[in-house]
Amino acid sequence: MDIIAVESLSKHYGDKKAVDDVGFTVSKGEVFGFLGPNGAGKTTTIKVLTTLVRATSGNVRVLGHDLRKEAKQIRNKIGVVQQQESYDQNISVEGGLDLYGFLWDVPKQKRAERVEILLKQFGLYEARKTPSLDLSIGQRRRLQVAREFMHDMDLLFLDEPTVGLDSLARRATLDFLKEKVKNGLTIFFTTHILEEAEYLCNRIAVINNGKIVTTDTPQNLKRKFGQSKSVDFKLLEGTSPELVKLIERIDDVNKIVQDVSDGAYHATTAKPEVVIPMLYQLAARLNLHITSIYIAEPTLEDAFISILQEDKS
Amino acid sequence: MNVMVRLVYRNLRANLDKGSLFFELIFPLFFIFIQGAAVAGIVPPFDIGNGRVISYSLFLAAGAVTLTVINGGTNAGTQLWFDRRHGMFEQILMGPFTRAQYIFSIIITTLIIGMAASILVFVFALPVLSGISITLQASLLTGLALFLGTIFFGAFAITLSVALKSSEAFQIISTVAFFIFLFTSSVFFPVDRAPGYIQAVSLLNPLTYTTDIFRAGLFDATTPILPLEITALSIEAAIMFTVAVAAFRRIKV
Repeated sequence: MDIIAVESLSKHYGDKKAVDDVGFTVSKGEVFGFLGPNGAGKTTTIKVLTTLVRATSGNVRVLGHDLRKEAKQIRNKIGVVQQQESYDQNISVEGGLDLYGFLWDVPKQKRAERVEILLKQFGLYEARKTPSLDLSIGQRRRLQVAREFMHDMDLLFLDEPTVGLDSLARRATLDFLKEKVKNGLTIFFTTHILEEAEYLCNRIAVINNGKIVTTDTPQNLKRKFGQSKSVDFKLLEGTSPELVKLIERIDDVNKIVQDVSDGAYHATTAKPEVVIPMLYQLAARLNLHITSIYIAEPTLEDAFISILQEDKS
Repeated sequence: MNVMVRLVYRNLRANLDKGSLFFELIFPLFFIFIQGAAVAGIVPPFDIGNGRVISYSLFLAAGAVTLTVINGGTNAGTQLWFDRRHGMFEQILMGPFTRAQYIFSIIITTLIIGMAASILVFVFALPVLSGISITLQASLLTGLALFLGTIFFGAFAITLSVALKSSEAFQIISTVAFFIFLFTSSVFFPVDRAPGYIQAVSLLNPLTYTTDIFRAGLFDATTPILPLEITALSIEAAIMFTVAVAAFRRIKV
């Protein structure tokens, strides 16, 4: 059974088509990434799927329930971490967790156990007595994500959940989510940090101007839309315009650029195994010394940008 | 546990801070123990209806109790305001709750806070109010006054918090409204002896009716117009409540 099944979903605000005839499915235990530039329709889609706003048209089933007729049944089984902050300003971290569990009718004993676990898991134990208002942005974000795990759910919506988190906290949060997915949780996930999407998502849909442009696995998106691989190398001598001229004549090299920040050259090619020996030959001919060289794989970010550029054109 | 109980408990815990509670209690007590005592020396006891003659201290003590319903009511707007500002409004609506349950939980929370604060002020004011007898009629009338007054001012504050876009505007407008309600009502003086323009405004003012009904119950000073005042306050509370619900339904998320 599909956990989310969306057909021809549209949400219009006056003349503006925030979401325009989109369709997709999400399977049980899947992490479904929903990526797009600012204003593409990601948050609006989440607001519709979480029953917060009504769809203009379309058929949507969430956890087997009709979105229009069975909103309450859906809300009983989902968790949502909104893009915007949400907290009770006067309540301490542990009080906020407990109160949120109480709102969801979680028994007292279970609440106490979960509060302890989540405080430690999300690095909030030291700040457990601090009122939410006095927390840093990152701490409040961690609290917001942790809070959602005070109650049981089958489907979790995460709208840019790691905004404001440092690298360690971000990785810890993603690993925590991965563990939950292993135990059967399904996640609908939006982010602007594409490494995160690649790390966590089984499939990704890219939305632009309210329409879904493509849906596939991260690997397939990179393969289909990512640029060629890149041979990145540095010279002991720093720069060499002569070498660049010679490399540009190699048929298998699409283009070569030098990174001004670290002086490394990036030669884009579909055949790095052909280009690398030639590079060494050319460098030797000019009496230059290559100090480091490696093959850079296309990234999801490359693919994402290509997808948006193709869509624009 | 019942959904409403959970929501109301959450509202109470999330929105009651010690500072505002202290203010809600201390503010009326200043009127009772300082202004009432000071002004009573220059104002002779006077008739408030039904032949009941009381001192200005007693008169103002009753007014100060009803004053707390405005504070309690403002609390409703503040709750909604903070829930919207800090994202909890949407968060709750994406949980196992409906909009109707949320707004009713705010109203019930306001009633609890308003009634509890009024009773507390009443208890603190007992030294001034010594000698009054609490009859069934007194309890019913005072309870009704506080209930209807809290409903009106709670609904009023909710409407304001929905209509106004910034917290500064909400604070300023609610404070200005607070003073208008306060000084054109019978909290501080008997309006029937005030200049005509004040009397005219006071006829529209729900705090006038709240205070008059409360005093009538507390001091057994019922007058022939009391049923009219109860009707007027009920209508005003019902209209304001309807406006608040309509405004609330229009909140965009």
